[in-house]
Amino acid sequence: MRKINISKLFVVIAILLATPLLGSAQDESHIGKVTGNEGRGRQFYFRYCWGCHGFRGNGDGENAPYLNILPRNFVAASFKCRSTPTGTLPTDEDLFNSIRRGFVNTNMPSWITLTDQNRADLIAFIKSFSPRWKTEKAGTPINVPAETPLTVQSIQHGQQLFQKLECWKCHGQEGRGDGPSASTLTDSNDQPIRPYNFAAGSRFKCGTTNHDLYKIFMTGLDGTPMPSFADVIKPEEAWDLVHYLRTLQIRHNSPELALWLTTKEGAAIVSAQRVSGTPTGSGVNQ
Amino acid sequence: MHSVDASSLTRKSFRVGPSLLGTFLTFAFLLAVGYPSSAAPLSAIKVHALPAFARKYGLPCSSCHLAWPMLSPFGQAFKDNGYQLGNDRDAPIYQSPAYWPVTFRITPIWHRENETNAGVDSATAPGGQTEASLTTHGFDWSGLDFHTGGTLAKNVSFYVLPSSDNTGAFHFETVMARLDNLAGTTWLNVKLGKFELDNLLSEKRILTLTNVAGVYTNYHYQPLTEVASPGAIPFVFGIGDNQDGLEVMGHSKDDRTRYSVALLSSNDGTPGLPTCRCYATFLTASQAFQVGSLGLQRIGAFDYIGEWPTYYQFTQGGNGVAGTGIGNKSYYRAGLIGQFFIKKYDLTAMYFHSSDNAYLGTGTPANQPLPVGAQKPVWNGGLFESHYTFSPQFILIQRVELVRMSQQAFQIGGGPVYVPGSDEVPSASFGNENVYAIAGRYYPFISSRAGFAFHGEYAFSHQSGASPVTGRNLDFSSLLAGFDFAF
Amino acid sequence: MTLKHVFLAALATLAAVTLTAAGPGSGTITGKITYDGTPAKQKPIDMSKEPSCASQHPTPITTETVVTGPGNTLENVVVYISAGAPDEAAPSAPVNFDQKGCQYVPHMLAFQTNQELKISNDDQTSHNIHPLAKINQEWNKSQPPGTPPIIAKYDKAEMIHVKCNIHPWMSGTFAVLKNSHYSVSDKDGNFKLPNLPPGKYTITAWHEPDQEMTQDVEISGSETKTVSFVFKLKPY
Ligand SMILES: [Cu+2]
Repeated sequence: MRKINISKLFVVIAILLATPLLGSAQDESHIGKVTGNEGRGRQFYFRYCWGCHGFRGNGDGENAPYLNILPRNFVAASFKCRSTPTGTLPTDEDLFNSIRRGFVNTNMPSWITLTDQNRADLIAFIKSFSPRWKTEKAGTPINVPAETPLTVQSIQHGQQLFQKLECWKCHGQEGRGDGPSASTLTDSNDQPIRPYNFAAGSRFKCGTTNHDLYKIFMTGLDGTPMPSFADVIKPEEAWDLVHYLRTLQIRHNSPELALWLTTKEGAAIVSAQRVSGTPTGSGVNQ
Repeated sequence: MHSVDASSLTRKSFRVGPSLLGTFLTFAFLLAVGYPSSAAPLSAIKVHALPAFARKYGLPCSSCHLAWPMLSPFGQAFKDNGYQLGNDRDAPIYQSPAYWPVTFRITPIWHRENETNAGVDSATAPGGQTEASLTTHGFDWSGLDFHTGGTLAKNVSFYVLPSSDNTGAFHFETVMARLDNLAGTTWLNVKLGKFELDNLLSEKRILTLTNVAGVYTNYHYQPLTEVASPGAIPFVFGIGDNQDGLEVMGHSKDDRTRYSVALLSSNDGTPGLPTCRCYATFLTASQAFQVGSLGLQRIGAFDYIGEWPTYYQFTQGGNGVAGTGIGNKSYYRAGLIGQFFIKKYDLTAMYFHSSDNAYLGTGTPANQPLPVGAQKPVWNGGLFESHYTFSPQFILIQRVELVRMSQQAFQIGGGPVYVPGSDEVPSASFGNENVYAIAGRYYPFISSRAGFAFHGEYAFSHQSGASPVTGRNLDFSSLLAGFDFAF
Repeated sequence: MTLKHVFLAALATLAAVTLTAAGPGSGTITGKITYDGTPAKQKPIDMSKEPSCASQHPTPITTETVVTGPGNTLENVVVYISAGAPDEAAPSAPVNFDQKGCQYVPHMLAFQTNQELKISNDDQTSHNIHPLAKINQEWNKSQPPGTPPIIAKYDKAEMIHVKCNIHPWMSGTFAVLKNSHYSVSDKDGNFKLPNLPPGKYTITAWHEPDQEMTQDVEISGSETKTVSFVFKLKPY
């Protein structure tokens, strides 16, 4: 029998072991200190996500036909919740937060129970579905200036903006999501979609804070009828609109609502808005 | 009412099946209790894996189950939230009116059972009994479970599980409703009914199915000396059994921190009012933390403290009057658990420390004197279960369980065989138990409509000094292959 | 051959290619777009929910998914060279897209990749401009009355459906094309592609929502060739 050269054997073994590492460069994601890995993300995707988002990530999973807000198509790479201007790719952190938060009034749950590492890995994998991530950079997050003081004047000015910008055309004068255009709205998949009902009590699609609300109307929710108002609202005015919009959330105890209720005008409006009935919104502060 | 409770010397006689019940030990016990216990082996498996939930939410089984029926952290959080995802699609009004929250589960199998040193009749042997190795095999099936569960309204959830053995005789394994997220916080949820204790390693989600390893030995272990003497109420308890009561539990939003406090009837989950006017409590707490890219690690502790009646205050025609059990004596089951994930490999390690009062440990009614030298039995247990999850479709399972008596209820002495009614046990190690199991489950498809698995398993157990004639070790082995499905 | 030779040869080839491609030719392709079959009946638009727009239309208007002329001619068909012509840099002049009377003017707007697109709102109501791009990045912006024009660009060729979510009847198309040889058929169905250098071309005619016809045409010298397209229309 031929004698095997031990050192050669070692080299062969070393190469075999290293091959997976040398394979095609894998995408990564970066969220703070966490670096996501595409390969690990693939495993999680095919455990948790494919039922709706599909094997190819184009949103045609086996459950997609039964969902009335269709699962995100990662190939199209158009995302609702971004910190970046309309028409640009979101940051890794935006996607990370979306997975963590889930989307109310859709079938996308919150994946808060996954570890940060799991979610970062998933982002790295999801980005591999669309060539856009190879040719385009994520947009630059919009600048959100410090929140202006909450005053009655600020709320009133926000109310004027709500009229002037015709938010009520879809969201309704009371923010109940019942404006004149509401029934005709469709998303970019040609599926009917309802405007956010401020009065119902559920949280916003892209977060809970004033900061999140600011970003929602300044960046728009791409793929839905909600446009970006970044070109038409000055940053300082935007906070006035935020303050007013909070008063429309009559089931949500916000400082804005409390202040509004101290004014005669505000109290009258809010009491007119309160209609007893079955709350369909979330009782839990998510 | 009470006197027909199925109970037995040890869990083993549940497994052995009617044909093997003629052993001396069991016979003696049956005389004492007056009712043949013949629960079919596989009916002990009441697994909660619900395609009904997958259908409701459109998530694949693999989201909630690391390998069904075992839960993933996401599935555990879903359960802890009251079978809700919290995305405002939980209440039934958001479901298609045609949606029906029902899942059926059944397991057709082939299995082979072997018991060494089993007691059998003999015309020639002294005492009319001898020992033999018994081997049986054939096709079989589990009972059928009807899992119905979900939400009645937002933050009001329920679970009802009528379950049959493989003859079709039904009982209610679980009946409960739960108010979720009270006061708007995940820290307060109240459950009322008959339900599984908040065991971090759920026996209802066990990945092994054989007669030997289909339940966790440590969850049901009782010393072999706990045979009710005449006039005593048999003591039957396992933290693996669903219990009747009220549970308050809470968790952080990400489910990393969990606690539960339960007040329970001390009747091991039997229907009707309990035998005694006494209660038990079960406390658990656990904390999970992330270690780099390895995954979630969880550590926790639990304690079950209860009282059990030893005799009836009143009898009618010689039978105890239901609910009038007195002479309550205490028992407890405490332990620690650690669940460690190293990428695709995970290990659950548990330590158990348990003790029963001397009256319970010797089956003595409290209105009679304890046998000479009687003391409380104390024992320790260990459980090591590990899995290698190749993918959501294939998992390998390995388990070792150990039970070690640290203090026998009776003094050591007498012959090599323990005879119920005597006040001596043969050795300090009498009743010690080892259980080993290996299994593999392959799920040929994963969907959000139904679950199906090929299951193969071998398990072996070994109990010291428990053979009925010679006092040798009593060994059981079980080999099983079959389908496990739910739809 | 030295490296220097290779370099020079490459340079020369490059220069030759650039010259032939860049020089405007004198060939022309003209033609007429007509249709066979029954065009979809256009529905009247109810603008009563938007009085400021309704008042601009004394005679109620209809949708514009198919606009025909006498003699079965078809308007709003974009005709362009899909193969045979090199990609061109965008001209510096912007194209204008107006919202007037809650309608898009023009209904079909063709322009080049990376060409500046200037979107204006002439109405007394807010619109949101929502081009439903699939290849380019989709965006959606609000434009209340009196706000400055929105400037945009697209860097990939695509037929993009444009809509306003507030006014569901508003519908238009951006035809983003790779070269300057394109034409949108007028109300008589006529189109004209002038200044073509000699060569073999594939001519594509596209009509919304997604109907496409192609023909191959060879141009030599300064000839004018006539190419006609007949679209098959269905009444639904
Ligand atoms: Cu409009």
